[in-house]
Amino acid sequence: MTVLILTCEQDVTADMVVAELNGAGVPVVRLDPADLPGVVALSGEYVHGSFHGHLSTAGRLVSTDGLRSIWVRRPGEPAAHVAEPSAWLTEETSQALYGMLHATGARWMNRPEAARRARRKPWQLHLAQRSGLPVPATLITTFPQAARDFAARFPDLVVKPVSGTHPEDPPRAVPTSRIAPDADFAAVAFGPTLLQRRIPKRADVRLTAVGERLLAARKPAAPDPDHVDVRFAPSVGPWQPVDVPASIATGVHTYLREAELAYGAFDFVEDSDGIWWFLECNQSGQFGFVELDTGQPIAATVAKWLAGHEPEPGPHATPAARPT
Amino acid sequence: MRPFALNYARSAEELEVSAPYSYDSRLQLNVLPDGRIAAHEHAVLREWGATTSTAGSKTHFDD
Repeated sequence: MTVLILTCEQDVTADMVVAELNGAGVPVVRLDPADLPGVVALSGEYVHGSFHGHLSTAGRLVSTDGLRSIWVRRPGEPAAHVAEPSAWLTEETSQALYGMLHATGARWMNRPEAARRARRKPWQLHLAQRSGLPVPATLITTFPQAARDFAARFPDLVVKPVSGTHPEDPPRAVPTSRIAPDADFAAVAFGPTLLQRRIPKRADVRLTAVGERLLAARKPAAPDPDHVDVRFAPSVGPWQPVDVPASIATGVHTYLREAELAYGAFDFVEDSDGIWWFLECNQSGQFGFVELDTGQPIAATVAKWLAGHEPEPGPHATPAARPT
Repeated sequence: MRPFALNYARSAEELEVSAPYSYDSRLQLNVLPDGRIAAHEHAVLREWGATTSTAGSKTHFDD
């Protein structure tokens, strides 16, 4: 039984897992949907009441019946690499590929429809609240007056993109940023704006959840309170392993179960009382940088899950191991 | 008419330099010019930040 990995070629984080699977003798087929059609090919037939499909890439051929799991890691847009790409061909190719893969018995990390929902950060905040995780006071609005009122109640605010995406043409990054006390909120009317109470933090926490296993790492915060976003702050030390508080573990497991995610990279900030405040959960978040600093076996844990040693998430998951 | 959040945007670094490894479809792994597997060379991965959570990724936002 084969592990199918959907990702781009330059994804060296996926390499870490491929190497683990190779070491365990687990067959792997790795492909980028952007190379379909072309380098990647597929065929599936629905005859006599049954479905049989095949995928091929770079000399490898795998039957859809032979897939034990599918890791959706960093796939390109289907058909993106064809000579004459089009939205129509992308949709055709996406329907063919993912539709066929959904017809298999393979389990997913993560299911595309669950991943799509899990990317919506406003939904993440709501689910985190329902899961019992501490969530900083947050406002998403296009009403300037609502923003002013919120700032009056919570004078120390940060702003961040609602979607987590960043503008192109020209490419710019929009880090989580602290808002000055005298900020003019008139421009809130020109786009949904996410304002959040700034949590004075003593550390950032990245908690990587793989199936039932939680691997958390902590990084001391930069001393300047204006350095809100750890991705842009000067590093004052490496990521180090940290134990997960029991209440956080319970909340994270609830979150993953409700979101039907097998993998999630949670960002928290730790305040001066040691409380972990939920910021977001990236359903395909990076983990290599944490493993390089901490030595935590995240790639090996992902490989183990893909190889079939843990149950799939979701309302029907059970502690029993699934046959592979 | 600029949305409020874009008041806090900054230029994203566009590195045109290619990584010191390339994809080997036979191995299904990226390898260095001397054949070593890139994923095993942690110093290389650190230097290139290839496994790092970043802002402004062109194609993905699940960092």
